[in-house]
Amino acid sequence: MDIRRVAVLGAGRLGRGIAECAASKGYDVVLFSQGAGGQDALRRIEKSLDRKLAKWAITESEKRLILGRISYTLDLKELSKADLLVEATIDHFYTKQELLRTADHLCRPEVVFLSTTSTLRVSELARGINRTDLLVGLHFIPPVPNVPVAELVRGSQTDERAVEIAKQFATRLGKQVVEIHESPGLVNPRTLLALVNEAAYLIDEGVCNAQQADRIIRESWGMSQGPLEMADRLGLDLVLNWMEQMQDAFGQRYAPCPLIRRYVRERRLGVKTRLGFLAYTDDDALKTDSESEQEGKRED
Amino acid sequence: MNIFVLNCGSSSVKYKLYDMKNEKVLADGRVERIGQDNAVITHQPAGRDKVSKTMPILEHTTAIRESLNLLTHPEHGVLKSVEEIDAVGHRVVHGGESFSDSVLINERTKDILDSLASLAPLHNPANVTGIRAAEKIMPNVPQVAVFDTAFHSTIPPYAFLYAIPYSVYQRHKVRRYGFHGTSHKYVSQRAAELMGRDIADLKIISCHLGNGASIAAVHGGKSVDTSMGFTPLEGLMMGTRSGDIDPGAIFYIMKQEQLNLHEIDSMLNKHSGLYGIAGVSDMRDIERDIANDDKLAKLAYEMYEYRIRKYVGAYVAAMNGVDAIVFTAGIGENTPSLRTALCANLSYLGIEIDEEKNKIRGEDVEISTPDSKVKVFVIPTDEELVIARDTMKIV
Repeated sequence: MDIRRVAVLGAGRLGRGIAECAASKGYDVVLFSQGAGGQDALRRIEKSLDRKLAKWAITESEKRLILGRISYTLDLKELSKADLLVEATIDHFYTKQELLRTADHLCRPEVVFLSTTSTLRVSELARGINRTDLLVGLHFIPPVPNVPVAELVRGSQTDERAVEIAKQFATRLGKQVVEIHESPGLVNPRTLLALVNEAAYLIDEGVCNAQQADRIIRESWGMSQGPLEMADRLGLDLVLNWMEQMQDAFGQRYAPCPLIRRYVRERRLGVKTRLGFLAYTDDDALKTDSESEQEGKRED
Repeated sequence: MNIFVLNCGSSSVKYKLYDMKNEKVLADGRVERIGQDNAVITHQPAGRDKVSKTMPILEHTTAIRESLNLLTHPEHGVLKSVEEIDAVGHRVVHGGESFSDSVLINERTKDILDSLASLAPLHNPANVTGIRAAEKIMPNVPQVAVFDTAFHSTIPPYAFLYAIPYSVYQRHKVRRYGFHGTSHKYVSQRAAELMGRDIADLKIISCHLGNGASIAAVHGGKSVDTSMGFTPLEGLMMGTRSGDIDPGAIFYIMKQEQLNLHEIDSMLNKHSGLYGIAGVSDMRDIERDIANDDKLAKLAYEMYEYRIRKYVGAYVAAMNGVDAIVFTAGIGENTPSLRTALCANLSYLGIEIDEEKNKIRGEDVEISTPDSKVKVFVIPTDEELVIARDTMKIV
């Protein structure tokens, strides 16, 4: 089947990133969101494209073309027109399964479903739908347009043809696809969470501050962002939620550092509240080390 | 002999059908927005009304099939059946070091073309897609590949090598290839015809000035140097491409602006050149803005002319003289003021321009005065005709 129209369920950071990336590669994208976040999602995608424009990565006309390929709707009936479905909602089992079940009724039977879940098992999610063989786990890593790798997992009943379609889609989006076995947290979130948790303990113990921890890790391993900035961009509430799920799966070694709980309790959630481990400007940019440190101290 | 010339891009197909008895164009057309529901096909039979329609065309095979349907259409067609096509000539951007001339396409040719994809990732895969699609529809018709780079295969090593470790050339074939070869070949041959002289005795500088622009030094009918290099980014200032820039500046910009490879590549290819300086990439817009006293448009124009002048001077030196300078392609053919400015700055060569002739458009014209020591021509390029001629020669 020729895939031209991609439905993306979920307009969070991952969903927006996938939508932007798919539209950049020529797909028509319909973005679905249950809340009022959809319009905001389009605005944020435009903002992301503006940042690319400012760095000369795209032209004005390319920006218009990409935005023109993305539409937003609340009406799930539109799913009947999709050639491929990408589910990118929060990793909550029952919410996800309910949404997949609804989509299962509305999409054409041959349409492959991709789930971006990283902490839930594809095999278990597939149990709630008829197309058990057409559900593939494809975890894109945010910021999706910039990260050139994706993790693929198949469920116990996933068909080879569906895996092929998932691989082709991800490859066209410019991602190297690495297939691994089903396991909560996959590789990227699981190792990132361990790193974030350990860095949080370092701060909690007063060994260093967030800027210092992030700088040492980032510079020594040649990363574009440190783990604490990554956590802030994901949202510390989401990070905490993942850690708790990982704790359920793997035990005490994923028990969240108390500092993370405290930050979430204080609504210090990262980029979306402008302050997490580090501080951010209204344009989502990281504030300089000194600004960040000042702000962190003020809040502490 | 009827020859069907195809130029396949990633989302477009341009075609021209020639009757080679008299090199007459029977029809031409293009399919745009391939891959979409609203692809547009435009077909122009010679001497008759243009036909245009919008329809879903999802891949190149359908695009070529639709073009052939129009060529054989009872009302708009020029052929009774596809069988009347004797050969297909394909424009292929990059022939690497493997192809120094046009070739008949066979399995081996296609394998080599596949292996050259990394040298021209935006163009060669689309060209090969077009070849495979045409083969599928016309399996018994010979197909010929004509390369943009082939005309420049005569450039000697001292001119095509970059002064970087030789092992890089050996390992990755990083060298000057040059582009617009079919255009430089056509206009230089045509200039020799217009001069009534054997091209083997001539030194010609050919200026292909379109949105992409390159200059070639053609000595005795052979390209001995050209301004585009490993990629079409090197050389002249272009519509949106920077042309020559100190590689050291690139590293510095990347560091200062925190740019990755894609961003710097896009900056130099899509945000630079005339557009980078003046905010518009079309020479007509530049001229309009100059008329409105726009200082940056004037600066862009001066930079553009100066860069051409430097290359002309360099190629006069490279060939130890010049008999003719030829202007072609969009800007080269349609910007008399640029030719005037450039030639005025080349007066040391004894060039004199006839301003009346310089205003003539759309035909081959010698714009230099009879006394001019170097002949100057404007020759509308015809790359498709070169492809058709090469195809006929090979089949």
